[in-house]
Amino acid sequence: MKILSKSNLVPFLEGLGPEFEVNAPLYEGQDVLFGDLDSSKLATDFIGKPRLSPKEYFFPQRERLFTFKNNGGVEIEAHLNETKRVIWGIRPCDLYGLKFLDMVYLSDYVDPYYQARRSNTILLGLNCNKAEESCFCSSMGTGPFAKEAFDLLFTDLGDVFLVEIGSKAGEKLIEKQANLFTNATSKDEKQAGILEEKSKKTFKTSVDLGKVEAKIAGASSSPVWAEEAAKCILCGGCNWVCPTCYCFNIEDVMSGDKTQRVRYWDSCQLGGFTQMAAMNSRATQAERLRQRIYHKFSYNPDKYGGEIGCTGCGRCIDVCPTGINIAYILRRVANG
Amino acid sequence: MKRVLTTCEFCGCGCNFYLGVEDGKVVAIYPSVSHPISQGRLCIKGWQGHEYIHSPERLTTPLIKKGNRFREASWNEAYVMIDDRLNETKTRYGSDSIAVLSSAKCTNEENYLMQKFARACLGTNNVDHCARLCHASTVVGLATTFGSGAMTNSITEIAGAEVIFIIGSNTTEQHPLIGDQVLRAIEKGAKVIVADPRETQLAKLCSLYMMHKPGSDVALLNGMMNAIIAEGLEDKEFIAERTEGFESLKETVADYTPEKSSAITGVPEEKIIEAARIYARSKKSIIIYSMGITQHTTGVDNVMTTANLAMLTGNVGKEFTGVDPLRGQNNVQGACDVGALPNVFSGYQAVTDEKLRNKFEKAWKVNLPPQPGLTLVEMLNSALEGSLRAMYIMGENPMVSDPDINHVEKSLNALDFLVVQDIFLTETATLADVVLPGVSFAEKDGTFTSTERRIQRVRKAIEPLGDSKPDWKIITELSSRLGYRMDYNSPAGIMDEIAKLTPIYGGVSYSRLENFGLQWPCPSLDHPGTPYLHKGSFTRGLGKFSPVGYKPPAELPSHDYPFILTTGRVGFHYHTGTMTRKDWALEREYPRGYVEVNSQDAKQLGIRNGQTAKVISRRGEISLSLKSVDTIAKGVVFIPFHFAEAAANKLTAANLDPVAKIPEYKVCAVRLEKG
Amino acid sequence: MDKNIYTPDLAIIREVCDEAAGIKTFVLEFKEPEIRKSFDYRPGQFVELTVFGVGEAPISITSSPVNKGYLEITVAAVGKVTRALHLKKEEDIVGIRGPYGNGFPFDEVKGKNILFVGGGIGLAPLRSLINQMFAQRGDFAKIDILYGVRESRFLCFVDDIEGWGKVQNSEVLLTADAPDASWRGNVGVVGSLLPKIDIDIKNTVAFICGPPIMIHFVLLDLLKMGFEEEQIITTMERRMECGVGKCGHCNIGKSYVCLDGPVFSYHQLRELGEDI
Repeated sequence: MKILSKSNLVPFLEGLGPEFEVNAPLYEGQDVLFGDLDSSKLATDFIGKPRLSPKEYFFPQRERLFTFKNNGGVEIEAHLNETKRVIWGIRPCDLYGLKFLDMVYLSDYVDPYYQARRSNTILLGLNCNKAEESCFCSSMGTGPFAKEAFDLLFTDLGDVFLVEIGSKAGEKLIEKQANLFTNATSKDEKQAGILEEKSKKTFKTSVDLGKVEAKIAGASSSPVWAEEAAKCILCGGCNWVCPTCYCFNIEDVMSGDKTQRVRYWDSCQLGGFTQMAAMNSRATQAERLRQRIYHKFSYNPDKYGGEIGCTGCGRCIDVCPTGINIAYILRRVANG
Repeated sequence: MKRVLTTCEFCGCGCNFYLGVEDGKVVAIYPSVSHPISQGRLCIKGWQGHEYIHSPERLTTPLIKKGNRFREASWNEAYVMIDDRLNETKTRYGSDSIAVLSSAKCTNEENYLMQKFARACLGTNNVDHCARLCHASTVVGLATTFGSGAMTNSITEIAGAEVIFIIGSNTTEQHPLIGDQVLRAIEKGAKVIVADPRETQLAKLCSLYMMHKPGSDVALLNGMMNAIIAEGLEDKEFIAERTEGFESLKETVADYTPEKSSAITGVPEEKIIEAARIYARSKKSIIIYSMGITQHTTGVDNVMTTANLAMLTGNVGKEFTGVDPLRGQNNVQGACDVGALPNVFSGYQAVTDEKLRNKFEKAWKVNLPPQPGLTLVEMLNSALEGSLRAMYIMGENPMVSDPDINHVEKSLNALDFLVVQDIFLTETATLADVVLPGVSFAEKDGTFTSTERRIQRVRKAIEPLGDSKPDWKIITELSSRLGYRMDYNSPAGIMDEIAKLTPIYGGVSYSRLENFGLQWPCPSLDHPGTPYLHKGSFTRGLGKFSPVGYKPPAELPSHDYPFILTTGRVGFHYHTGTMTRKDWALEREYPRGYVEVNSQDAKQLGIRNGQTAKVISRRGEISLSLKSVDTIAKGVVFIPFHFAEAAANKLTAANLDPVAKIPEYKVCAVRLEKG
Repeated sequence: MDKNIYTPDLAIIREVCDEAAGIKTFVLEFKEPEIRKSFDYRPGQFVELTVFGVGEAPISITSSPVNKGYLEITVAAVGKVTRALHLKKEEDIVGIRGPYGNGFPFDEVKGKNILFVGGGIGLAPLRSLINQMFAQRGDFAKIDILYGVRESRFLCFVDDIEGWGKVQNSEVLLTADAPDASWRGNVGVVGSLLPKIDIDIKNTVAFICGPPIMIHFVLLDLLKMGFEEEQIITTMERRMECGVGKCGHCNIGKSYVCLDGPVFSYHQLRELGEDI
């Protein structure tokens, strides 16, 4: 483990360029969003998570897959983004989210767009010393301190960061600017341990994951789906902000004399998601709400060897304009 | 990626988000968590509705009509033609033979310039915009009762109310972030009463739902007031100190016993009484209303009656109370505020008031016409009848949004000269002689004023597409070309001028809008803005009880047209669909028009769910898919007006409220046949 | 680097035939000679077909792998892409991604009686399997083909049908719900043909493909007749887009119809884990 004094964070991040493009959480007014490194706006002391997860560095809201010229000849030009990138300040929930997306996009047929971005990006995590009201990562085992899926992991000890090395790629970054780092002592690591325990006590939202996993198979006719779905206004927010949601729609978009095949985020909460010519296989909002929860807590774990498709970040709770709360729903499922 | 914080271009909630820009294109959306209204939440249009910005169908050059087709033209050519034709029209037929339609989608600065152009350059007060079609009744009705025609309280107070009475508003669908407030109030134990001829989503989630007949609102509200007075629940202190005309009100509502009210509205007596009790017993009761109240020949009456109800129980002029008309468009409140109306300058200052008119004459250095001009529907009538010869329409699509579309088409075609400024070649632009390409909200700076009177910044994120120009620039160039010089460096400068001449916007300047805007009245530079109105005293002093009796809608069902058609919207499309129907996510949800018919009626008609139905009125007919529902009464059908190919407004009638001149979109008579 | 799974290969439309009312069959040939040679598929698989400038749609392959060097698809014009495809002519270029999906069981059903029940354009993927089986006729016992259409003008593959009827130990029965005057076959839904054939259920595998409602009723009929759930094979209809198990649209339970299907036994369907 290493120590980086707080005053050396900006030099370290700025020193990563020009080899890497560096992204980090930034203050825009009072909002925190991931953006291109700007030391005047760098957010190091925010609590919780930016409203959108960093999944869009790998799976953008709108991504051009390829262009074809429709002049009778049809030539296809694919657009892969191979920018070398470092992202700092990724919360443990989002680190798990990326681990989950790796599983989805890099298995079966490998998604070349995701792979190009992912293989060229180094992840620097930032542990949470305090939970936000909606956070429940501790119930999901994904936080508040990360245990895996990072290249480097930062813990805020007050004046300094404790830096844990998670991969060779992360180690190389430290080696390149070794003068900024000192070695951590066992006192530092102990302090981190205390901070983790303290952090765990700050959670207001919790989910009994074990009970949920046990009960979920039998909950498909629970009244909770229709009750909660009655409020849904189909904004899709729960999917847009979710670090593990990966569904998309592909459209051909004309642009001058060319056509682009574009991939957009899609939402299983929208009626059109399963609409076919003859019928809609999930015609009610209750079925669609159930699909979102089951996809995360039942179907994906079945398909991907037990990995739950929910990081416990709580963003879906914060973003819903009608108060549909995943923790509440899971409690109803658990108490079945 | 560049991030630009801006205000949503769709509805009057006034949410804020960041546009994510890459390579000069808008490619992402990030909601603003710190924004007081949206708090990091958006509806589907906010999240996904912006694909239209880069649609290949965007107008990028001026177009001039040659025969039946358009040809591309330069700006100079277009301006020369407009200059010639408008001058010719003005010389031959006078200034009042020209009319201007401004746009509730455009910024305050642009609306202000549009009315200035009409008045100072063309010399006419014939300027109006789509508020005429939605909240004109509000402007008149609340101005009469309170002295000020805007939402009295703020959006975030709704979550703190004890009672919310929603009449004629499908809030969760049409004003989602205000629906959010209502749902939060419910979570905290608030009682919500919904009155709507359709069982909306909120009607299913509320404490008390009344399905009243379309157009029977005065009877319903008078019935409630009758019950309140009968049980002594009126706020005697408030009435005595803050209002006038109570005796007159008491007399009028005495007639509306729950029995009589029930007979007219179709709502059971017990519900009327219960609703009255719930509303009156709380000192934190809010009334929310929207098109269901305003779009009637009795629109003004309906609005005044809601104001009467609020005053009766002292539920106005304090926090967590009020009468909240939900303004539809992103900037319809602003367009009204800055004077895009035929009878007032900015700030609702009457054109007929000599002193006020002199103020504007001095500032604008020109003589100004003293007579109020034509309203929107009157403009079209005048066009057909021949006294109106030319129109300049910006960001408005009357060929889909106005009542009686066949009539609209005839009227527009009767004009000698029509200029349409828009971002797409809409159904209206297709009829124009000259089309000018404006820009979307992402390509210009300006301000929008939301329904809670919040003036917020719109910030330019990308360059205008092709050869299009920001609408404010077009207006200034056109005006200068026509002989009235307009010179502004930027929209900020236009707002500075607005502030000087408009007391309610007096303290507004761009530097003061950085922290999510200001709520007017904001009369001076050190004034913090006003969350709720009528504190201590009404804008007019005492609140004026304005009692009215029930009058039936203009066109009732008959033997040949036995159904009531009520029109409205869905949450996925915006008005005439010009923007939203270019978006795959929105179009996929609602790709085509439909008519909602009560399942028993559908059975009797022999038309199954999904089959085609023909809907016919005295004005026209359309064919569309039938949707069999149980959320609407027998004898009533509903059609959303977004779909030009199955245009609900082919059926509606231009029956207007006599004072507000708003059409009765909510009631006309139709018959249905198998398609 | 592996081939980009999202970019289509170019194919030329060699032939366009009017198969039936509103239904056309397209014969496609890959532009690249290597792909023409190496493209292989199983009956029951589908391709994602691109109409350039319009979009992509999942379409099952109706030719059989025995037909080398070209591909046949039979398409009804029901959506944006298929309507645009119907306007295409010979020598026009389209895009193909695939083949995707799991395909019908073949080796596993050798030696058995095969009962095909097809409805409307649903016969298209079955045709691929039928012709594959007929190319190895000796490997299968009795083959019965029951084919029903709503109206006689929707009858597809008339030439194939004629040929199938002539093969030994094979029978073809046709029916139409509401035929025109010239129809000489059975009248009624395709399930009404089931009592007309003589099959040894224990040693038979049934393949059903057609409109969802037809599948639903035929399933019930077969179960009533005594078929076990594992003996009934059908195709699951879901909105498919990427074809590679990523976009999420065809997700049912832990399966993706484009990866684990679209061919499922009735038993597998019941295990999918979502109310189907």
